[in-house]
Amino acid sequence: MAKGRELKGRIKSVENTRKITRTMEMVATSKMKRAQDRVVAARPYARALGEVIASLYSPELAERFPLLRQPEREGRAAVILLTSNRGLAGAFNANLIKEVRTLLAKLDAVGTQVELHVVGKKGVGYFGYIGRALAATRTDLTDRPSAADAASLVDGLIERFTAGALDAVYVVGSRFNSVLSTPPTADRILPVTPPSATGAQKDYLLYPSAETILTELLPSYVRNAVYRALVETAAAEQAARRTAMKSATDNAGEMLNLLRRTYNRARQAQITQEIAEIVGGASALQG
Amino acid sequence: MSRALKVSVISPEATLFEGEAPSVIAPAFDGEVGILPQHAPMVTTLGRGVLRVGEGTTRFQIEGGFLQVVDDVVRVVTEQATKL
Repeated sequence: MAKGRELKGRIKSVENTRKITRTMEMVATSKMKRAQDRVVAARPYARALGEVIASLYSPELAERFPLLRQPEREGRAAVILLTSNRGLAGAFNANLIKEVRTLLAKLDAVGTQVELHVVGKKGVGYFGYIGRALAATRTDLTDRPSAADAASLVDGLIERFTAGALDAVYVVGSRFNSVLSTPPTADRILPVTPPSATGAQKDYLLYPSAETILTELLPSYVRNAVYRALVETAAAEQAARRTAMKSATDNAGEMLNLLRRTYNRARQAQITQEIAEIVGGASALQG
Repeated sequence: MSRALKVSVISPEATLFEGEAPSVIAPAFDGEVGILPQHAPMVTTLGRGVLRVGEGTTRFQIEGGFLQVVDDVVRVVTEQATKL
């Protein structure tokens, strides 16, 4: 019954694995719900900011704002890659890294000098492994990114863009369209692409002036773009983990069925054999 | 004038307040500004101070951001806001 014992060991081990993956699935589900709520809660702010900027924006004003300056050539660019700190989320991090590699290749092709800022242990680990120098790394962001986190990430870059040391800033993260659709995307956050105005333009009284208001709002708009990327990526991570753990649990179940069937068959065969031996022995004695 | 203002206070993380109020007093960049119904459309930047919605106890400590009034809809959009 050596084979039987071996099978029994494997059954036990797969059962234990399934327990873990099922727990992780449930944890990811509840974390994802909360992350999803944060994505939804972030929308009114983005909408309000976008609407006001759109209503104040005019092409004549654009020339005077460094954040709206459209460089003719992107000589130096910064890319912020958002990845997760933890693994076991399926192809989540691999997809993000693939997306950033596509972007890097595209920028390299036009001769742009790129500095890479990476958030999350998984991305840092990957670029450490292939030996690419990183301008900055962050691994201290949690599942619940705050607006302050976003500000600390991007404020330095806004300053350098204003000073002319950078020509573009990109963010690579996952968009959270729905639980099942979280495609990795690369967005250019600087220079700011002004949101297009919708509806009739109101004639606003502006205090102190359109210029001062824009000067204050544009950095907020950029920071908010990063914040949105952070929350959406956090939600997408949980969604990816949930899907990965769900399929792991399902696969473990299938494997268990197969193992149990094999085990029972082996047990049955052994009993049959024993009976045959006893019957054979008895008839030999009577012989 | 019995019309009321539709007020919302929005921070990046959440919508902190949404509802009707007869008036709003906000800390603008150069001093407080009071908004009553039928105010002309306006956008102003905010400084640091206390935002008061209505006469009740709905108050927020805010810093920066802006206030938009249009058609009796008041939106206070600020990066830092805490309810008092």
